[in-house]
Amino acid sequence: MAEFSAEVFQNEFLSDGATDVHAIVSVTCAGAGAAGAVGVTAGASATTDAVGAGQVAEIVAVDTSGSMQGRNMEAAKHAAAVAVDQIPDGTLFAIIGGSHVATRIFPYPNARVPMVAMEPGARNEAKRAISTMSASGGTAISTWLRLADDLFATVPAAQKHLILLTDGKNESEPSMHLDRMIADVTGHFQCDARGVGDRWVVEELRKISTALLGTVDLIARPEDIAEDFAALVRKSMARGVASVDLRVWAPQGSQVLFVKQVAPEVDDLTGRRTEVNPLTSAYPTGAWADETRDYHVAVRVASKPVGSEQLAARVQVAVGGEVQASGLVKAKWSDDSTLTARISPEVAHYTGQAELASAIQEGLAAKASGDEATATVKLGRAVQLAAETGNEEATSRLRKIVEVENEEEGTVRLKRNTAKLDEMALDTASTKTTRVRRA
Amino acid sequence: MSADDSVLVRCPSCGENAPPRARFCENCGTPLGAGEADPTAPSEVTLDAAPTVLDLDPSTGEASARRPCAACGGTIADDGYCAECGAPGQSERDHFEERPAGWVAGVCDRGVRHARNEDAMALAASGTFAALVVCDGVSSAPDSDVASLAASRAARDVLLAYGPEGSSPVEGATSRRIAGWTDAMVAASRAAGQAVRGAAEQLAATKGTNVAEDPPSCTFVAAVVDHDLVVAGWLGDSRVYWLPDAGPAEQLSVDDSWAQEMIAAGVPRAQAETSPQAHAITRWLGPDAPDTDARCAATVPSEPGWLLVCSDGLWNYCSDAHEMGDLVRRFAASGDPHTASAALVRWANAQGGRDNITAALARVATTVTEQR
Repeated sequence: MAEFSAEVFQNEFLSDGATDVHAIVSVTCAGAGAAGAVGVTAGASATTDAVGAGQVAEIVAVDTSGSMQGRNMEAAKHAAAVAVDQIPDGTLFAIIGGSHVATRIFPYPNARVPMVAMEPGARNEAKRAISTMSASGGTAISTWLRLADDLFATVPAAQKHLILLTDGKNESEPSMHLDRMIADVTGHFQCDARGVGDRWVVEELRKISTALLGTVDLIARPEDIAEDFAALVRKSMARGVASVDLRVWAPQGSQVLFVKQVAPEVDDLTGRRTEVNPLTSAYPTGAWADETRDYHVAVRVASKPVGSEQLAARVQVAVGGEVQASGLVKAKWSDDSTLTARISPEVAHYTGQAELASAIQEGLAAKASGDEATATVKLGRAVQLAAETGNEEATSRLRKIVEVENEEEGTVRLKRNTAKLDEMALDTASTKTTRVRRA
Repeated sequence: MSADDSVLVRCPSCGENAPPRARFCENCGTPLGAGEADPTAPSEVTLDAAPTVLDLDPSTGEASARRPCAACGGTIADDGYCAECGAPGQSERDHFEERPAGWVAGVCDRGVRHARNEDAMALAASGTFAALVVCDGVSSAPDSDVASLAASRAARDVLLAYGPEGSSPVEGATSRRIAGWTDAMVAASRAAGQAVRGAAEQLAATKGTNVAEDPPSCTFVAAVVDHDLVVAGWLGDSRVYWLPDAGPAEQLSVDDSWAQEMIAAGVPRAQAETSPQAHAITRWLGPDAPDTDARCAATVPSEPGWLLVCSDGLWNYCSDAHEMGDLVRRFAASGDPHTASAALVRWANAQGGRDNITAALARVATTVTEQR
């Protein structure tokens, strides 16, 4: 049985009159088991606690628009075949080819069942079908999402996962169409979105992956797609707990300022709130493997007299409506400034990391729109934050875009003739955070 | 106890001869017959301290999940905090209320700043008789909360024994009863002192703490209403106020404190009471207490009014008797001592709640029938 635990990091002491309580809640899942385990994949024994065979559905959607022609198409086909190899027997699956329209590649369009359970015969047929894909047409990603949603809707799986690969801009439809489709399918399945090459738009795929509780990433070289797909399938199959909600209880009269996932990636959950009861909100976090995710919760409470204590939030993990773990965020008002002045190192670290992510994204957006002054300031701030929070990966990515004059003060100059891929790599990786070093 | 009621009982603690059927030694306050008596025999004090609003078990000072939130009335969740407003749940020891009769009630509360409630309160009432005891544990000594609770209950039980339904009732004309209650008050304070020593020894035995180094201690204040008579007794700086409805309010007790000594020496009250040592008490109950005999004062009220027994957690915010009278009358408009004492505690908490707060009130009428 999967076990969740929650650990709270905060400075619970507030100065007289203070109202805002910040805490990092670190949620860990252990014993998640494997998704749809039936004993074929290495190490996946058929355990009753896992999600169970037939309850997992996997779809791979590959861009087959004209721009994919050549190396990209061949690499994508190879990657889809590798993914099929990784999908364990018993998992319901389908392959979609996407251009300005979406086509079901496997099960074959004339097949009666929209999705089939993986077994050796199906695996061979699927690979044969994949090998027949060819590139032509435009790109309308909303149609791919619609088909995936239709296919998923036919199966009773508790856990549904889509891998989406594109190499270009969503140019064959108004962006409104995609936005509306994303809203329509949100909550139906999870999606990891991947872009190959440098002609796709990070912001477009991020919209999809963020809403659908997945990740976005850049695959610079086509030959790396297969490895990435294999990793995505493995990761998806390791998620033995189907649907997990983060719940935040806040006291009567208080206000939840925000709820953000801050590790392993920054993801603002605030807007995904649903109400459990008037004091408790739920935020979907998708399926979980054995992993730790950190959340930054900020609550505004009414100030109380010095010496008072109160609970500012209960942060809970709920699976199927049952609370599995709970962390308590407290507030204690004190007039001892040695207690109240301290900032929790965890809160400070992740506040910096979240600001780093937005500084990078805003800086790159400003640069793209030709606003060099804003870009210089924002990316300078990013350099400073990356150094302060020890995010070496971000530092090295930033250094490909800007010339650093003074890291501590965040003074930089924009580099001329930077590679588009370097900017996209910086953008896609901007939300990845480093964990705070714990003594 | 001896079956022969005519035989004097010898106190096992000090050797003093006690009158027949005495429940406590008048010299040292040691409960008599408690150790050697047949535990199944019915208590000689038939008058119960009940009915109380919420009594507490001294052995379990743990947070109660059953008690509604003191701040908003919501339910306390399993994690110890209110499910509605997030206020920490209070243990029985942190906040308790007693209402032994419609005209006698008190509230004992942890306050805002202190982590524990070291105040204690024990009330009893029957007919036109009431006993109100408040003990304020000394914060510098650990386990003073245990000591103060034991002390207040021991003293209440002694006063009950001298009450109209007790084993050795104080009777007679007013002057005789003043003398009788003064003796009873001293017996009660000695019993309370003995209870503190007993608690200290027990704590030392179970926890291995060195009692001599930092012994648990507490103040003592008690007031008895006996028909037309009010008698107060005290050690330390917990107080008894007599607050008549129309006449001048007065503080019956005189603090055994550094501040009081300064006032006696001519320092203005406000200056003395705000000085850093103001709260240093010169008399107390505890293993290191030089003596445990309460000082006493009596009054025969000539008009109806409120008798207030309180700890410094309340009077720190309103020391002057006249102002205290105004405050109590403001909260006691309904005539219910329970709502009034609760309002006094809330008021002290609103002033900052820097110390534990206890307020116990008795509505004293001038005629017997009014109290019945």
